[in-house]
Amino acid sequence: MTKKGLTLNIFLFLIANIFLETAAQMCFKKTAVSQEGFNIIHHHDIFVFLGHMLSSPFLWLGWLAVLLIFTNWSTILSKIDLSIATPIASLSYVLVTLACLIFLHEHVSLLRWSGIIFILGGVSLVSTSKGDS
Amino acid sequence: MNKQILFIIFLIVLTSLCDTVNQLCLKASINTIDMEVTNLNKAFLLVWKIAFMPLAWVCLICSCLSLTLWLYVLSKAQLSFAYAVDSLHFVLIALASSLILKETVGLKRWLGTLLIMIGIILVSLTG
Repeated sequence: MTKKGLTLNIFLFLIANIFLETAAQMCFKKTAVSQEGFNIIHHHDIFVFLGHMLSSPFLWLGWLAVLLIFTNWSTILSKIDLSIATPIASLSYVLVTLACLIFLHEHVSLLRWSGIIFILGGVSLVSTSKGDS
Repeated sequence: MNKQILFIIFLIVLTSLCDTVNQLCLKASINTIDMEVTNLNKAFLLVWKIAFMPLAWVCLICSCLSLTLWLYVLSKAQLSFAYAVDSLHFVLIALASSLILKETVGLKRWLGTLLIMIGIILVSLTG
């Protein structure tokens, strides 16, 4: 089996993975936040707590996302080197920063922008590096 | 630096190490499966095959271990600090890929990986 370099298709798979990961985190966070006022006092409260969690649709949505992430990531790894796939996955830092800027209107400092530039530079170097054949 | 901080850094490095072993085992398992994934069915078939590989179970154990360690770290340290130290795992993965998986990690890929590490440290520490 030949290991090809990065193609646009695989790059899109990697981006999809980042979005799915963000979605999974949001689902788990939503599940946890919905139980915010819950206090565990007696032992049997733990089971009540678990029951509440398990009946939350967001938990199951989160697990579905995790399954998809694993499938997607395995597919990616069957096509390219681990030392290419992992660095490119760091684009999540860039996407999260952009999301904070666009959707949450957060202030992004100059130092943080320089970090983003470093990551983008690194990703472009890694993704244009030769794959072994 | 006091002992407490050193201990936390040690735990974060341990988390990174678990993640590295996790990815390494997954990639090693996939490398032994000769299959070209062209559609969703084949992707699920790949996952099914991975589930029967002993190395994949090391993967699962490492993920659980790493999650437990990470949650403990977050209860003691700030997220930004933890993320900054955790950026080490990009270097660990590159190192493990070249030494154990025999991937050719050239100068360009190393340079890119180091830039990403610096970038993540900058992004994390500036919150």
